[in-house]
Amino acid sequence: MANHSASHPAHVQHHFVDSDQQFESAKMGMWVFLVNEILFFGGLFCAYIVFRAWYPELFTQAALELNKLWGGVNTIVLIGSSLTVAMAIRSAQKNQIKGLRINLLITIALACVFMVIKYFEYEHKLHLGIAPGSFWNPTPEILEELSHPKANIFFGIYYMMTGVHGLHVLVGIGLMIWLYIRAGKGHFSSEYYTPVEITGLYWHLVDLIWIFLFPLLYLIE
Amino acid sequence: MSEHNHEHHVATAKQLWLIGGGLFVLTILTVVVSNLGLPSPFDIISALVIAFGKAYLVAAFFMGLYWDTKFNSLLLIGALVFFILMVTVTLLDTMYRQDVVPSF
Amino acid sequence: MAAAQSKNMTTLQVKRFKPSENPTNTYLTDEKGVWAWMTTVDHKKIGLMYLVAVAFFFALAGFLAIALRTELWTPAKTFIEADTYNQLFTLHGAMMVFFVLVPSIPAALGNFVLPMQLGAKDVAFPRLNLASFYIYVIGAVFTFISLANNGFDTGWTFYTPYSSDTNSLGVIWVTLGVFILGFSSILTGTNFITTIHKLRAPGITWDKLPLNIWALYATSVIQVLATPVLAITILLLSMENILDIGIFDPAKGGDPVLYQHFFWFYSHPAVYIMIVPGFGIISEVITTFSKKHIFGYWAIALSSLAIAFIGFLVWGHHMFTSGQSAVATTVFSFLTFLVGIPTGIKILNWVATLYKGSIEMKTPMLYVFIFLFLFTIGGFTGIMLGALSVDIHLHDTYYVVAHFHYVMMGGTLMALLAGLHYWWPKMTGKMYNETLGKISAVLIFIGFNMTFLPQFVMGAQGMPRRYYNYIDQFQPFHQTSTIGSYILGAAFLIILYYLVRSLFGGEKASANPWNSRGLEWQATSPPDFHNFDHTPVVINGPYDYHKPMEEFQLGLAVEHNGHGHGEHHEVKTDQTEKA
Repeated sequence: MANHSASHPAHVQHHFVDSDQQFESAKMGMWVFLVNEILFFGGLFCAYIVFRAWYPELFTQAALELNKLWGGVNTIVLIGSSLTVAMAIRSAQKNQIKGLRINLLITIALACVFMVIKYFEYEHKLHLGIAPGSFWNPTPEILEELSHPKANIFFGIYYMMTGVHGLHVLVGIGLMIWLYIRAGKGHFSSEYYTPVEITGLYWHLVDLIWIFLFPLLYLIE
Repeated sequence: MSEHNHEHHVATAKQLWLIGGGLFVLTILTVVVSNLGLPSPFDIISALVIAFGKAYLVAAFFMGLYWDTKFNSLLLIGALVFFILMVTVTLLDTMYRQDVVPSF
Repeated sequence: MAAAQSKNMTTLQVKRFKPSENPTNTYLTDEKGVWAWMTTVDHKKIGLMYLVAVAFFFALAGFLAIALRTELWTPAKTFIEADTYNQLFTLHGAMMVFFVLVPSIPAALGNFVLPMQLGAKDVAFPRLNLASFYIYVIGAVFTFISLANNGFDTGWTFYTPYSSDTNSLGVIWVTLGVFILGFSSILTGTNFITTIHKLRAPGITWDKLPLNIWALYATSVIQVLATPVLAITILLLSMENILDIGIFDPAKGGDPVLYQHFFWFYSHPAVYIMIVPGFGIISEVITTFSKKHIFGYWAIALSSLAIAFIGFLVWGHHMFTSGQSAVATTVFSFLTFLVGIPTGIKILNWVATLYKGSIEMKTPMLYVFIFLFLFTIGGFTGIMLGALSVDIHLHDTYYVVAHFHYVMMGGTLMALLAGLHYWWPKMTGKMYNETLGKISAVLIFIGFNMTFLPQFVMGAQGMPRRYYNYIDQFQPFHQTSTIGSYILGAAFLIILYYLVRSLFGGEKASANPWNSRGLEWQATSPPDFHNFDHTPVVINGPYDYHKPMEEFQLGLAVEHNGHGHGEHHEVKTDQTEKA
């Protein structure tokens, strides 16, 4: 097996020729996976578009129940976390492991802020009885504002879109914690930071999805 | 591609902060524009134009597509194309039905 | 991935190496024990594990099919209740589609063959590959849990509102199972696309890819683009069941036809996930046993991609009678006819490949001929069903049942059998009994046509699909069909018998028993853990049968960072043959 003894750095798996091939493959694999993610959310966006085209007045009416301010704050929080992830990758590329860990920590913190705000938004709506599916039981005052007979459909779509997005944020938080621990063990350097790079791609996609969710759900009235 | 060795593009901190700032400004802008209460098609158009602008900034610079191999950009664009196909062809049905929801 | 980068021309030192006929160390002997198998990241072993799992589900779902056919022996009840019947045909369909047809060729045979045909040591993400297998197993477990919870009788399509109103628990479990299963498919697709792009051996440019790789590439593209839509659809359906979210439920103000759009946005491309890799196998086998260069390499390669693309635009032909708009049906009908073109191109090119070839009628080749015959019938009847007015008459009859069995069983499964027999010596290092192989192939052909030809006739006469009872006039057709299914079952048992027997008492296979020019045949049988002794170097096409074998046995002579990305290389042949 002559060609296996070749001087592979420790992080390069046996079936790759060199670090570069491994890095490019991992990155491409992640992009292909992101194509998946886009079409996964695409189904929900498609449902949104179909129902919006049918009942435009429903969407303008229902969007009033969503809090623009907190939606906007959450957008800025998520954009901030995207920035810190980009900074984390930059730190890794420059071999600044401390910077990498700090940036990851800030990202985790921002993601948690996002989830907390989301929680209070949900809490508020559930309190008013604007709940998904069979739990749909709005208070009389709310029913006056949400007079459209298909208001439950809008919130069905709302809860699915933001819920699935929120799940992605939670997964992202898990991945960031994993990266943080690995960075602490000294697994990453400017020579090898593939997991940081591809987790970053994932996180940016979660941000991208929110960039579209925010105006479509909160702002169009 | 194989030719470059360890020459991954490293964005400068200034570039990243600029992009982050741009995204911040665009977020404020989209909220402001929505408060103007533009008439029907223009509110959606303006919101989507700003959203695509933000998406471009994130994809090109945070995700590094601007410096990356073109194939990865192709993947992203391909995903969007197939999404658009899915929506338009579905709308071909839903927009041209006799009854919106067929009765049984 | 530009292939022609003349400035990157590098010089490689190569030498000939002939694969050993008596390999001492193979992937089967490399690591032993159940645990080693279960935790392996070797693409060959994962392929074999998939093969066993697929065979298990095929046997199970096939057994259900025979039970169904037996029930249909008489117009009224024969031996099972109507409710059981509904559950059995649903289970037969769901298992055959999600557990057999979708993973059969890509995940079982493809996993084994793809890296070898690329001259790679493994797929790009071996651990993800193993994960995809276990995700498949978990999906299967969910389906069995569903069976323990009263099962499901919705038909494999899970149409709303029935699926969201009836026996929720069984449907919830099985839809979650399908959701999980989808990820297995997605991971395989992601893995293959990356592998094909990044792990090709030196010299394998895009125009030297075996057509099997092109087919798997097209398949992977569909898997990646379509499967996530199934995932979200199934998730929405589960939410419909759990929460009554209302998007698909007309009682809640939703739209059941929207469910069908979503479902078929995946499930129509999914029939191409099933058939396109079969096309790849046909191209490989037909050239090997005609000893001739493939006719129309680019036509076949690109028609796979064309099918993948157009296949995304025709899903509405499953919904002609669902109440979708007339505009949409017309457009879908037109686009459906378009898919016939790339498929026809393939068939004609294969037939042209046979012309003046030295055809050797071995078992795999026999299956190729069966494929050509059956798949052409399946394709033509598909065109008829794509015609709007005809479809109104034939919709939801046995005509449709016969059509998709001709395409899926007569197409995909025959290609799978061709590939299985073709690569069996490579996978196991053993030859199967050729005579029994031919006998069972002929039996399958007879049994298949006996089972499904009568279904075209009774379908055209108005026998609806999925019915438990029928009127007396259809009984002769049903009985012929049932007898045919018994013949089919017997033929599959013979195949199982001689394949298993070959493992223990079979003749030893040489490295290249069919004298193929394909790269995978230049490894030992069974291959080494790392597939090849040396990193192979490719300067000829995979179908260059006009060139002598020696020109194909090139490998890197010296240690060098082997697997390139298929750039052009100037090859210097020196040194002598390896002993």
